[in-house]
Amino acid sequence: MKTLLFKRALQLLTVVWGVGTLTFILMRSLPGDMAYRIAASRYGQDNVNAQAAQMVREELQLDQSAFVAYWHWLTDLLQFKLGDSLVSGMPVTETLQHMLGHSLLLALAGLMVSILIAVPVGLLCAWRGNPLDSIFMGLSSVIRALPVFVIGVLFILLFALHWRWFPVAGFGSFSHLVLPAFTLALSLAAVSNRVVRDSAKRAFSATFYQFSKVKGLPAWQTFRRHGIRNIAVPVVAFFGIQLVSMIEGIVMVESLFSWPGIGHGLAHAIFARDIPVIQGAALVMGVLFVFLNTLVDMLCLWIDPRGAKTE
Amino acid sequence: MSVLLKLIDVAVYVGDRCLLAPISLELTQGQPLTILGKTGSGKSLLAQAIMGLLPTALRVSGEIHVYGKRMTCRERQQLWGRELVMLPQEPWHSLDPIMKCVDQVTEVYQCVKGQNKQDALRSAEEALYQVGLSHIGNKRPDELSGGMAQRLAIAAATAGGATVILADEPTKGLDVSRRDGIVRLLQSRSRFGSLLTITHDVTVARQLGGALLVMKDGHLVEKGETMVVLDSPQDDYTRALIAAEPSVWTDIAPHSQKHDTDDILVVDQLKVARGGRTLFDGLSFSIKQGDVIGVVGDSGCGKSTLGDALLHLVTPLSGRIARLNQAAKPHQWLKLYQDPPSAFSASVSLGQLLDDIIQLHDIDRTRVAPLMAKLSLPNGILERNCLAVSGGELQRFSILRALLLDPVFLFADEPTSRLDPITAKEVTTLLVSLASEAGCAVLLVSHDAALIRKTCHQVISL
Amino acid sequence: MKLTTSQWLGLSLLVGLMAFAVLGSVFTPYTVAQQDLNSVMTPPSLTHWLGTDHFGRSMLSRMAHAVGLSFALSLVCVLTSSLIGTAFGVWAVWGGKKVDNALSVAVNVLLALPGLVVVLLFAAIAPGSFLVLYLAISLVQWVEYFRVVRAITQNVIQSPARQSSQMMGFGRWYQFKRHIWPAISPSVFTLAAFGGANAILTMASLGFVSVGIQPPLAELGLMSVALFPYYSEAPWLLAQPLVVIALLILGFHLLAGKRA
Repeated sequence: MKTLLFKRALQLLTVVWGVGTLTFILMRSLPGDMAYRIAASRYGQDNVNAQAAQMVREELQLDQSAFVAYWHWLTDLLQFKLGDSLVSGMPVTETLQHMLGHSLLLALAGLMVSILIAVPVGLLCAWRGNPLDSIFMGLSSVIRALPVFVIGVLFILLFALHWRWFPVAGFGSFSHLVLPAFTLALSLAAVSNRVVRDSAKRAFSATFYQFSKVKGLPAWQTFRRHGIRNIAVPVVAFFGIQLVSMIEGIVMVESLFSWPGIGHGLAHAIFARDIPVIQGAALVMGVLFVFLNTLVDMLCLWIDPRGAKTE
Repeated sequence: MSVLLKLIDVAVYVGDRCLLAPISLELTQGQPLTILGKTGSGKSLLAQAIMGLLPTALRVSGEIHVYGKRMTCRERQQLWGRELVMLPQEPWHSLDPIMKCVDQVTEVYQCVKGQNKQDALRSAEEALYQVGLSHIGNKRPDELSGGMAQRLAIAAATAGGATVILADEPTKGLDVSRRDGIVRLLQSRSRFGSLLTITHDVTVARQLGGALLVMKDGHLVEKGETMVVLDSPQDDYTRALIAAEPSVWTDIAPHSQKHDTDDILVVDQLKVARGGRTLFDGLSFSIKQGDVIGVVGDSGCGKSTLGDALLHLVTPLSGRIARLNQAAKPHQWLKLYQDPPSAFSASVSLGQLLDDIIQLHDIDRTRVAPLMAKLSLPNGILERNCLAVSGGELQRFSILRALLLDPVFLFADEPTSRLDPITAKEVTTLLVSLASEAGCAVLLVSHDAALIRKTCHQVISL
Repeated sequence: MKLTTSQWLGLSLLVGLMAFAVLGSVFTPYTVAQQDLNSVMTPPSLTHWLGTDHFGRSMLSRMAHAVGLSFALSLVCVLTSSLIGTAFGVWAVWGGKKVDNALSVAVNVLLALPGLVVVLLFAAIAPGSFLVLYLAISLVQWVEYFRVVRAITQNVIQSPARQSSQMMGFGRWYQFKRHIWPAISPSVFTLAAFGGANAILTMASLGFVSVGIQPPLAELGLMSVALFPYYSEAPWLLAQPLVVIALLILGFHLLAGKRA
């Protein structure tokens, strides 16, 4: 347990260092006079002059040597001084707070829907076997081959443009959430339903499961006492693995549906070369990723305490 | 004496192939019935057929009567736990790996006996106390030894009140002392009903008494009173099974041991630990050329680790291991493994593996054929890989491979524990005789003290 | 190695798409960027087999180039990451505690960020660069091989079979050839197939959010987003990149075998 938390804390530090270094290289590698570029994106192309550029240069300490600048860059980062957006001039922390709320809403909704799809389908496949099993497994193979943005485009074409049931994109009401959440959920569920099914199949055919019935326990009690928890062990562990797909999925889904979250923010900032926002968004994603991974680790340990000894 | 269980011409088929030939038997109250035969002789199928546990791909024919009434598969399933119960082979696998031990017994009192939570817990604690497990209630099955797990399984299985007990190899993999305890426990649990035991162990059959059926390849070869059958067997197969018990072997330790041969290995004040636990300390002995040394002790006492230490596979905490035979090269100190298939690469044929060795050490190829004949290995096995030959053949092939390297020392780590008794006897005899013929010392590890007594010059007890 | 029916199906799908890419780029009379504003968004015809896009560029040429680009990227990424990951995985087990610890630290650093975010950050440094995309994807992907190979190799090293070969005097190359490689090769192959799919998916995703390969080059994600506004006037145009991405990924998934 302690080593686990220590390992995750170390990862948190490396996230900060990694993101900081990459964005620092990014800033240094931009062509032309940085100060002019930044000033131009801040005040508009017509209002740029040497004085404005000089102000920017002093403010952002652009004239220092690379090493000193790198040091400043990292220490600022460690104090969570993320600066202002080069495009909007708004403090990055404030922007991120808004984005984070929206992203978490989408992630939570997507995860819930994906669990609501994957768990019943997986259990049903394991319980009933063929032909139901083959049909669902075949279907999920096809869906797995579709990138999340293709699923999203198909959803938009069908449910938003053709039938006009839901809005195409944007944010505001519950109906805006439906398509992005289902897009994310479907792409996650197409993978996780197989994990649920395999795990359930393994549990149903396990000797201890049979022995429980031989002891005289009815089928439902056997499932409740020996099925659920044993099936959950690999499934919960898999959610940890799927976090990667989820965060990647969020980047794509948000960009597609113009959902004002972190992923959308990151993609936009990269397109606009808005370095403070790039740094902030990547940082938040990394921290969130490590945090969620820790949560999954602890959940696994709680369900299956056997792992505690080997950790 | 009432008949509790009666089988009339029960057979098991997969498609049209017969896995278990028609068999009839009666299990009467107070009269245990034992089915004896080696692994793969269809014994377990019979128990599963009686319970109604066979996979759907298998078909059962014949009649099964319980308490004088012919019952369908579904009707027999209704009796599970209350009247009829089966103990599976592997106690570790039959227990829920992530549930506390006491809960696995409590739930039976709760769900089958209909007791409330407190009463059920009290009953379960009492049941654990009776089988001598009161201290392990809060542990999980992976923290138990094999014997403890089997006792827990018995307590859980009989909690529902079943008195007709089917036990499928209940003593598999247990040390002799643990084995006897399990047999006694089964006897006491079936006092008011009856016990049908499936085993490959002649001693277990003898301890249980009652009636005996001997099976071979899905066929019944002999039946009768246990003591009568074991004392004067009529069938050749039954005779071979009884003769394969180490306790009745003739002494096969080679006589050619000369007292003037040199020591090849001296061990002085050896101390070895594994996983932070000291296994043994202050161990001293010496091995002469051509000696057969036996190592005995309960499982987990460090028998195998001792052998590994002698081969430098494990580093001892303190003490000295001195190889005195300076002429021998490192590859002449070898090991035979417990599980033959795990000791070979399955990626190529056995012949290729043999060629690899012959090439590496420049071995005379003409030595192979006579050795194969001595080990009665058919030529065809060289074309197959290690998964496509039987365990007995593979273990004999490992002996062949080792002997080609002219070993001076061979550590045989329970080389026959995964083999059926008849094959085990053949392999042990061949190993000992061929090794001493080649002047190679053998360190033989076994959990079977009788086997060691019959084969070794010197015994180390851990 | 024996392939199952579905693996054959996947392989033929991929070979077919590769043939389309090669033949399409070699034999087409139109270049990727050649515009013809007099014939925009024409349906498939004899002159333009797959029609033309909103700038009148030949869809056949563009699709063939885009598929070729995807294959090229996935091939180099798979080769690089599988070689590095496998080599490091075996080295971590055989090279002793120090090597293992050093490699674990490196892996933990890389695992601290989701792969796509790492690739996005690299793409931000050099937008539109194929080389940077390749480096970033390989950097993310070798970790997967490393972890799997290391875990399997650890088991093999402790196996009686490998121990016995060592005792009989066989060297490291023999132990790798007979014991380690047969144990890891099925997993490496499966990872490679999934890795190929992921490389294509990552490039398309980056193209889709407009930070990957830059116009006028043809790239599947980029084409999807560029043709999206014309979905009602020319649905056959939008369908092409979407279907091809799905087929590419399906091909690799089928080739990987039934274990996902």
